[in-house]
Amino acid sequence: MAEEKKLTSKELLNELTAKHYEGALQAKAEGRPVVWATSICPDELLNAMDLTTVYPENHAAAIGARKEAMKFIEHAEGIGYSADICSYARVNMGYVDLQHAEAQDIPLPDLIFSSTNICNTVLKWYENIAKKLNIPLILFDMPFNHTYEVPDNATAYIRGQLENAIKQLEEFTGKKMDYDKLAQKMEMNNATSEWWKKATDWGKVKPSPLNGFDMFNYMAMIVCMRSSEDGHKLFKLWYEELEQKAKEGKGPWNSAEEQYRIIWDGIACWPHLSTTFKLLKKYGINMVTSTYPNSWYKVYETNDLDGMARSYTGNYANRNLDYGANQMEQLIKDFDVDGVVFHSNRSCKLMDFRTYEVQRRITERTGCPSVIFDGDQTDPRVFSDAQYETRIQALLEMMEKNKEAKRRGDI
Amino acid sequence: MGYRETIEKLCEAGLHPGKTIMATKKETGKELVGVFPIHTPDEIIYAAGCVPVGMWGGKTEIQLADKYLQSFCCSIMRTNVEYAMRGSYDMLKAVVIPTFCDTLKCIVENMKLAMPKVPTIAMAYPQHRKLKAGMEYTISELQRVRRELEKALKTIITEDSIEEAFAVYEDYRATMREFVEEAAKHPEIITAKKRHLLIKAGEYMDKAIYTKEMKEIVEGLKAEGESAFKGTKVIVTGLLSEPVEALEVFDENNVAIVGDDLSMGSRKWRTPAREDVDDVFMKMAYRIADQEGDTFLYEPDKRKGQMMIDMVKEKGADAVVVMMMKFCDPEEYDYPIYKAELAEAGIPELYLEIDQQLATFEQIRTRVQSFTEMLL
Amino acid sequence: MFLGIDIGSSSSKVAIVDENKELKAVSIVNLGTGTNAYQQVVADALQQAGITEADIKYTIATGYGRMGYKDADKQITEITCHAKGVNFLMGDAKTIVDIGGQDAKVIKLNENGQVENFVMNEKCAAGTGRFMEVMARVLGCSLDDLSPMADKSTKALSINNVCTVFAESEVISRLAAGDKVEDVARGAHVAIAKRVAGMCNRVGYSPKVVMTGGVALNANLVDALAIELDTPIEVVPHCQGAGAIGAAVFAYEIYNK
Repeated sequence: MAEEKKLTSKELLNELTAKHYEGALQAKAEGRPVVWATSICPDELLNAMDLTTVYPENHAAAIGARKEAMKFIEHAEGIGYSADICSYARVNMGYVDLQHAEAQDIPLPDLIFSSTNICNTVLKWYENIAKKLNIPLILFDMPFNHTYEVPDNATAYIRGQLENAIKQLEEFTGKKMDYDKLAQKMEMNNATSEWWKKATDWGKVKPSPLNGFDMFNYMAMIVCMRSSEDGHKLFKLWYEELEQKAKEGKGPWNSAEEQYRIIWDGIACWPHLSTTFKLLKKYGINMVTSTYPNSWYKVYETNDLDGMARSYTGNYANRNLDYGANQMEQLIKDFDVDGVVFHSNRSCKLMDFRTYEVQRRITERTGCPSVIFDGDQTDPRVFSDAQYETRIQALLEMMEKNKEAKRRGDI
Repeated sequence: MGYRETIEKLCEAGLHPGKTIMATKKETGKELVGVFPIHTPDEIIYAAGCVPVGMWGGKTEIQLADKYLQSFCCSIMRTNVEYAMRGSYDMLKAVVIPTFCDTLKCIVENMKLAMPKVPTIAMAYPQHRKLKAGMEYTISELQRVRRELEKALKTIITEDSIEEAFAVYEDYRATMREFVEEAAKHPEIITAKKRHLLIKAGEYMDKAIYTKEMKEIVEGLKAEGESAFKGTKVIVTGLLSEPVEALEVFDENNVAIVGDDLSMGSRKWRTPAREDVDDVFMKMAYRIADQEGDTFLYEPDKRKGQMMIDMVKEKGADAVVVMMMKFCDPEEYDYPIYKAELAEAGIPELYLEIDQQLATFEQIRTRVQSFTEMLL
Repeated sequence: MFLGIDIGSSSSKVAIVDENKELKAVSIVNLGTGTNAYQQVVADALQQAGITEADIKYTIATGYGRMGYKDADKQITEITCHAKGVNFLMGDAKTIVDIGGQDAKVIKLNENGQVENFVMNEKCAAGTGRFMEVMARVLGCSLDDLSPMADKSTKALSINNVCTVFAESEVISRLAAGDKVEDVARGAHVAIAKRVAGMCNRVGYSPKVVMTGGVALNANLVDALAIELDTPIEVVPHCQGAGAIGAAVFAYEIYNK
């Protein structure tokens, strides 16, 4: 028997993505329930219950990248959704009615599993879907942490919700939670999170073997496979590949050298992914990190529901300005970046309305140059090539000047 | 003074918040604490011997707030940040800001910087407000706000004083429930604009004084004979029924508001306290838990649409008018759901996109007038 | 005789109907509210009908300038007047698309030709005559030339931006990148059509769809909208005057009631 060809992590990523969606469609076809969940939610609970889950944010991003978002957006706006609300939500609302996308089909849900640690938007979004489809909703309300650390009363409140969610899941599935299995899923979640973090940490090396736009692609899997064997395998493999590249001194691309290192704050502009990427690459600008590696670094003591609560409510988007600015400052130092690109993402008011102040603070504390451009995660209408190009060129000029000063020994 | 004069006096008060607030301070000798929308625990502030004053933005030119906020931010919040940066709020002893939406979460953070002279007290309400863990969380947050207020005001807020304050607010809420009932019967007296200004005046006055005046108005309305009003009767929904110029268009076209689902309106008072609960903090937590059809409170079965349909029937309204505050995500999410329900029930609905900085009202005039023509 | 006057943001229109409810005059001047154009257009219409002001028994004003027209007996909005005008000119329409200088409207009619529901564009100018003006300016042509220019297009090209300011810069960069003016012009028409189609969806449109307003004279836009909605679109005769005609018909009906 011939030895099985070893897949690259990218091939494995594609394979797992296909398997993930096929599995969900098959579950539906066989009459098994399907859950829709938000991107940073305690889905160890779902996995412990063997529930098939899909993640509409991943799906909307795929539709956006495939440039077919407008069909769904127009439909959603037609039934009354404002153009000002999150475009992932608009795509998803459109999909619920139209039920077919060239990019990928997903089954409609029988249960919603939503967590407000990423925004309040998902509360309203999934309330609407649950109402429209008349299905149950399990909500995790993770209050915004306006203090620097996660307060104890919030932890207790979320712990209470975790316990309540287990009860709801038991009712929904008609079976008891298997706590041993849950513990296994928690362990797996921790281990996968570690590999995700370690892999993305390769961005610290110079040149970085990691191309941050690849990270956007791998991100879809850290969303949905943290507590699965497959996810664990994928991120370990990705780590090993990056390690190998680093050892060989390879940079992010084969065809170009890394000249400048930046942080990209916010999600990608999926419909303009290639435009945004190519322009950066043209100038040798590599995105080495963002706030996302830490957002899915979900590590806590197995079986510690308080720890689980703190971990899930403690992601960047749910933390106060002081924390956010410190995080950004830390990333600038740890990854030794030359600049920051802030995506003023029309869909994400929670990120946007802190961006200006975060930018001011990092400039003050680190002198690291940065620019903000207007865009959107999936609505192609809110992006201007010309504006993006001008802003990136302005950043480039600032970064060049700093580099020149460094060469001359001024800094 | 007749009750009609009281109406005029309060409408003036509602029209000029700045003046009213200063008059309140002078008249009562109390300190002022600002409260952002929505559902702030005003009773605790009142118990501290202060007057809570509503912070609902206003009409002004936005210049300074651009330091923190992009243009696609809700105009109430942009205005509040603008005023804060101008120092207009420096006379406040503290400001309480709840975090009901993504914008408010950020505003809390920006206000700490925009208004360095005034302590900002952030508070989070649970969305799982009916769950035991949620009720406990509400109470822990209320207690925290109480402690922070004590610190900011250098005073002790006793349980007894909170109970007394709660009674004042329950009286206010009961009076307002009665007021909207009576106002609906007399649109020729309480026009859309007056209704709004009367309600708004309460945001800037000591509730004990305000409630007394409102009671006089309620009694006055009760003594009136049958109304001869022949215009269009509507239910309004949204954050608040502003700008005032839009309401002038309502008045011009004989459109009366006979019921509302507004955050500066019935959402404040439609849920009475539980009588079988003793502890005042529990009473406050239950008021949040028991509130129905509120845009800003989690409700998986979303009852707002049905509530409006029932209200239309009960009040004999002709239609629903949506006063959609531009860039208010939670309100914008609710709209398609109740829009479909209203359509299903055969209830006409007019959607008005509003923002506090609107300069021209021609389009609103056309929409409102066309709508009344359509209903004929 | 009965007069209807429609004072819009960029043009003024007058129509006159006689005692038999027959249309006797339609006059249009491309000057809108804030000017004295209405005097001129009223005089012209009176002349067309061969009457004097004294013959007018009832006048209805509509359009943005309706409140400022002192000689009117009554004001009715352009929404209601367009519906009336369309119903008078062609009885079986179910949906009216009216694109004006400042705003665009989609009106849904019931089986009696009365307004059942309507939507208007929000503050943003995308999808209005103003957007067309900006496009014409950037493309270096007159408003009238926009349609024939777009007719020559051979390549589908999409203008993504909805914001007029952004769209302007997008068009400029398209041209700078070597795209042909005709393709960009077509792209701009399609962009407007998409916006208007969104409004049609919002109101829940059904055929027959008709267009009124000056922009209805732009054949390329009518074509783009027909493609977006996947249904034929008829342009109402006297499309620019439909509101004024509706107002004149109202004047007749109210007077004779």
